[in-house]
Amino acid sequence: MTHKHDHAQRLLKEAEAAELRNHTRRHFLKESAMGLGSLAIGSLLGAWGCGNAASKTNPLSQVAFDPAHPLLPKSPPFLGKARSVIYLHMAGAPSQLELFDFKPELAKMDGQDCPPSLLAGKQFAFIRGVPKMLGPQAKFAQHGESRAWISEHLPHFSTVADEVSFLKAVTTDQFNHAPAQLLMHTGSPRLGRPSMGSWVTYGLGTENQNLPGFVVLTSGGSFPDAGKSVWGSGFLPSVYQGVQCRSEGDPVLFINDPAGMNRDLRKASIDAINAANLQEYNEYNDPEILSRISQYEMAYRMQISAPEVMNINNEPDYIHEMYGTQPGKSCFANNALLARKLVEKGVRYVQLFDWGWDAHGDNAGNALNLGIINKYRSVDKAMTALLLDLKQRGLLEETLVVWGGEFGRTPMMENRNGAQNPFKGRDHHTEAFTIWMAGGGIKKGYTHGETDEIGYSAVSGKVEAYDIQATILHQLGFNHEEFTYPFQGRPFRLTDVGGKVISQVVS
Amino acid sequence: MLLALLAILIASAGFISFGSNNEVDYSADVKPILNKKCISCHGGVQAKSGFSLLFREDALAKTESGKPAIVPGDPSASEMIRRITHDDPEERMPYQHEPLSKEEIRILKNWIKQGAKWGDHWAYLPVQKQIVPEAADLEIDAFIRAKLEEQDLKPSAPADKPTILRRVSLDLIGIYPEDHISKKFLQSDGSQQAYQALVDSLLASPRFGERWASVWLDLARYADTKGYESDGHRDIWPYRDWVIRAFNNDMPYDQFLTEQMAGDLLPSPTKDQYIATAFHRNSMTNDEGGTDNEEFRIAAVMDRVNTTWEATMGTTFSCVQCHSHPYDPFRHDEYYKFVAYFNNTRDEDVPGEYPWLRQLETKQEEQLENILAWIREGEKVADAAAVERMLRFYQPAINSTTAECIKNAVIGGNNYALLVRNNAIAKFKSVDLSDAETMTWQFYSNKKGGVLTVRIDSANGPIVVREKVPANEKWQFAEFAVALEAGEMEGWRDGRKTGAGKKLSVHDIFVSYDNPSLPKTFNDGADFAIVFNWIAFTPAFPGKGREGYESNKKLYRDLLTAYVPGTPILLENPANLHRTTNLFERGNRMTPGKEVQPAVPNSLQIKGLENLPPNRLGMAKWMTDKRHPLVSRTIVNRLWEQLFGSGIVETLEDMGTQGIAPTHRELLDHLSWKLMHQYNWSLKSLLREMVMSATYRQQSRFGKDEGDPFNKFYSRGPRTRLSAEQIRDQHLFVSGLIDTTMFGKGVMPWQPDGIWLSPYNGARWEKSSGGDQYRRAIYTYWKRTSPYPSLISFDAAQRVVCNARRIPTNTPLQALVTLNDSAYVDMSRHFARRMQQSGGGTQQQIGTGYQWLTFKPLPAEKAKLMMDLYDKSLRTFRADPQATCEMVGIDDEFNNPGAAALVVVAGAMMNLDEVIMKN
Repeated sequence: MTHKHDHAQRLLKEAEAAELRNHTRRHFLKESAMGLGSLAIGSLLGAWGCGNAASKTNPLSQVAFDPAHPLLPKSPPFLGKARSVIYLHMAGAPSQLELFDFKPELAKMDGQDCPPSLLAGKQFAFIRGVPKMLGPQAKFAQHGESRAWISEHLPHFSTVADEVSFLKAVTTDQFNHAPAQLLMHTGSPRLGRPSMGSWVTYGLGTENQNLPGFVVLTSGGSFPDAGKSVWGSGFLPSVYQGVQCRSEGDPVLFINDPAGMNRDLRKASIDAINAANLQEYNEYNDPEILSRISQYEMAYRMQISAPEVMNINNEPDYIHEMYGTQPGKSCFANNALLARKLVEKGVRYVQLFDWGWDAHGDNAGNALNLGIINKYRSVDKAMTALLLDLKQRGLLEETLVVWGGEFGRTPMMENRNGAQNPFKGRDHHTEAFTIWMAGGGIKKGYTHGETDEIGYSAVSGKVEAYDIQATILHQLGFNHEEFTYPFQGRPFRLTDVGGKVISQVVS
Repeated sequence: MLLALLAILIASAGFISFGSNNEVDYSADVKPILNKKCISCHGGVQAKSGFSLLFREDALAKTESGKPAIVPGDPSASEMIRRITHDDPEERMPYQHEPLSKEEIRILKNWIKQGAKWGDHWAYLPVQKQIVPEAADLEIDAFIRAKLEEQDLKPSAPADKPTILRRVSLDLIGIYPEDHISKKFLQSDGSQQAYQALVDSLLASPRFGERWASVWLDLARYADTKGYESDGHRDIWPYRDWVIRAFNNDMPYDQFLTEQMAGDLLPSPTKDQYIATAFHRNSMTNDEGGTDNEEFRIAAVMDRVNTTWEATMGTTFSCVQCHSHPYDPFRHDEYYKFVAYFNNTRDEDVPGEYPWLRQLETKQEEQLENILAWIREGEKVADAAAVERMLRFYQPAINSTTAECIKNAVIGGNNYALLVRNNAIAKFKSVDLSDAETMTWQFYSNKKGGVLTVRIDSANGPIVVREKVPANEKWQFAEFAVALEAGEMEGWRDGRKTGAGKKLSVHDIFVSYDNPSLPKTFNDGADFAIVFNWIAFTPAFPGKGREGYESNKKLYRDLLTAYVPGTPILLENPANLHRTTNLFERGNRMTPGKEVQPAVPNSLQIKGLENLPPNRLGMAKWMTDKRHPLVSRTIVNRLWEQLFGSGIVETLEDMGTQGIAPTHRELLDHLSWKLMHQYNWSLKSLLREMVMSATYRQQSRFGKDEGDPFNKFYSRGPRTRLSAEQIRDQHLFVSGLIDTTMFGKGVMPWQPDGIWLSPYNGARWEKSSGGDQYRRAIYTYWKRTSPYPSLISFDAAQRVVCNARRIPTNTPLQALVTLNDSAYVDMSRHFARRMQQSGGGTQQQIGTGYQWLTFKPLPAEKAKLMMDLYDKSLRTFRADPQATCEMVGIDDEFNNPGAAALVVVAGAMMNLDEVIMKN
């Protein structure tokens, strides 16, 4: 049987199971001797609605999630090809011109003054006056049957060129990190909207009730510039916010029992709390109490599952070698391996942020020809391993992997305050950058979109954050225009008023 | 159930069930259709085909087709009606969307037929005195009962004494009252008088201000750090303390707002009034290298505008930044007219966050007063004022980052400070030298032999300052004499130079630095001789020749150079630094449009206030005028939400046409009217009225029928989760650990390692010792990019921008906090120890503990659950001395299995639903 067939079967089963649970639970609630009122049934009716199903005519659907089991797996409106998502975000924005967007013409212009036509009416974060053009700081070659251009900085990744679709003409309208990161992940450059992972777990729940549905892993020494808002749940219930898991200290904050408390005692104390809370429910009838009971149960199970899944030490040596892990440290390679483990365990959405890609060239650490080369090395092997590892486990077809930054970098060399920067660097650039996607029903070995001959702006196949979000949701089985949540008197959606599925990269 | 559902459906659809003869209500009937179906293309954001429905004058105007789309009185001649009823999908509006329903079309037709009258949204009309329904003794109850009766609902019975004691205590002071107050009420007859006495003692408690400050600080976006990428420290905690004191003193709300908006512009402001203006210095400051100070100054100004509207007027004014408001009656330029009120404060997004109010210590305050008294004895009042301004604020300082670098000088890191090398020249524009006799400057220089020269008008212009630059390894202050043609070289001088005796005025100045002992050429990036922080030109220290001059001058210099932290405040620019304000096209500051003057939006103009000064003080007077429709309603709604779990207008952040309609509009207006006209803006009086109502005092059990599932009609008491702060404070209280010390710098209770990870910031979380780790949550150090984790888990606001409403959630991660966070484990240990020391057998101790938590006796069934847990724990610990010691946490006389088992039970009790919730 093919993987594809397996996958379809699995999704169908999942959907059936979910519906069955739904039915059983409704039945249970109706017949239950606990005397649970129809209130909770009302909230359950709403719980299974995504988009239009959260019916406007049912006032009870305001509680659009089952407070007692908010993360139960749900079936999407149509059969999506992907079951989970791993999003690798290079925070600070990597340079497309040194990795994927090969521009020999730009090399010829190296050192020349930037033509005024590229500057008129434009605003840059740091470039002032007339900067010099900066040729590609890498050698490029074509790879695989797809003949994809990939630079020498990614020798490992070059070997999997035929697994991915490149989006070469991604654009944004935000040229500062935090807003651009927010736009990419929440559909709005301002704070306050739910992140994509929150939307996805809200819509699909998660397959493993003993782990958070949406996990965030960070590396590179800092959080992304937009801080924790970039995995926040915005106006969605906060149960859908990303849970940060850590490779140092407690894998999840406060996951470990206090010293002196063994698992038996923890179990006994949670049982006692829940039994007492059930009595409280019998007195108050507040469905919120049932929710609390289930949250305590989940907390207990999570205490076992989270440390287990976050421990990479039990992986065989060849896996460690493949990813280039550094056990005990916090690094991208470890996180990439964890991402695989998490989706394998049924986590719906895994978000990685790797900080330190902001290649301005105002110091050696962020110079294209110095510090940033270390960043390439730190991700190349691991992201390649992630694709290969998912593939060898039959998971790649149902796991959508996305790689990218929040914007691109200028073909001009940065001239901070109109003076030459001490090292080679590029400023923030909104008009063109590269993102790649793989697995989860995305075409293999394909390139969509093209930039002009110096990589300044898109000439064809232009896409923006909303389109990428629409495509991710589509792969998961959602029409992004119908997947909404009512807030402040109107339905909100991840893609706001934009977004078009990039059908060219859908297989 | 079906019937009830139908009832709700009919109720919510009620507005369409009027006959065609009835007058169409624009706000209730028409505006919702326009907002939903039309305005995204024909509104404030875009006006497709030249047609906008936002304002009547626009809607009736000619469109691009040359004729108006709406002809009042004549639906059939109105293009709008033709288009919404068209058969051709290419012509039919809304374009490419579902057509309007028949009902909607009928409403719009009738509306045009009746003259297409524009109505004002209720929230923009002045608050009117309401007629109180005769449904109950207390006014709030009367309004609530009247609605309940309409819905055929009944109120619930009153809550019992322990329940209402806990509820009202958490609501009014955020924590439990002292034991004697609780006891008194529990032993009382529970009468109205006994309850009133309880309420009054809570309102008088110093804990009151701490509880309500946490609500206000979400709106004020108060934090102990600057925000943005590196998120450095800021000494702004005196503002937090000001808020606590203001609530405790029941400062009238109009004064409370005025001092925060414009305390610095009041006549002879007090120190507290300056501190109050830090409300708007809680905006973020960006120290990130490469950022443009002016860009982030403007961002801060816009944040002040948005915060002012959201916090005090429940309006999403930030929409108007880029275009006219999509739904509400605010035009694009009106945003920038409001910006103009805030655009002339002295702050400039510099890393030092000037201007400050320096936090002088008591002794220094006395010294300052002595100096001022000595000056006032013999000199002009203005002289004393200038000295005070310098010592309190370091004003009129010019930030060195505003310099233009002409030669051998650079603004370090683009925004940090002016750095100069040998033979440097830097220019400062429009410096007021009219009273300048002394140049005071703060700088760092370790290069001996340099000379600083200040010329006016050009790099070769007349010299006004020429002095040797003192060199050492510290930041220092110097005072140089200022006089035209201050030619000769001298060392330190005081007093005036005669010079040419000419009066100076506003000039560009050119600061140059020359040092023969330094090389004339440099390696890139090195060899800086001076780091400038700021420069100020003032009159000389007055009173030369009088007795006491020398000693007072010395005191002055001591105070000037004393290191004291400063709290960022608002101060208005002097005339020579006045900024013009321009509209930004599409909100982009790089595309400025026409110049605008300070003004409030047309739709909210109040008659008779036309002559208010066009500054923040005038703006504050407008806001706090009793005819302002939004300010009183917004605060009433907010206080109501804090007590009842949701606002009368559920969207606290938006009272506009897109907000959720009020459930009890008359009650909201009644309380707003009373707050202004009867209570003279006393929030304590308003809160007293709310908590005294029978509506508030109902029990919170959910009924068996679902007549009021979301308690919209208040047919039962509020049942809400404790806030993040309340959970921590309550647990500290019952464990006996609470330290009720008030005020001061933020404290750092226990938090796990590795939480602080801001880019470019080496700050460390250093755990507080002693009582400081057990202070109330409001005193916890708040770092914007990495807030205290257990508070954030329970939905505390991040305090980056104004946050009008916290959405309570229920997640497993919250359970992990109260089960496992070391801070909570510590509390459960102390709670257990307190129980043990309270006497009696184990069951009695547990009962006592439960009573501390809930004021109620422990029900038998729960007692059995806790005893079973105790017994199981006891067996475990008897077999495991190591675990026993770890659970007790310390090897003392309590290191025994019984004590350890009680810690487990204590932890469980602190996680009970009735402890995490308000019943």
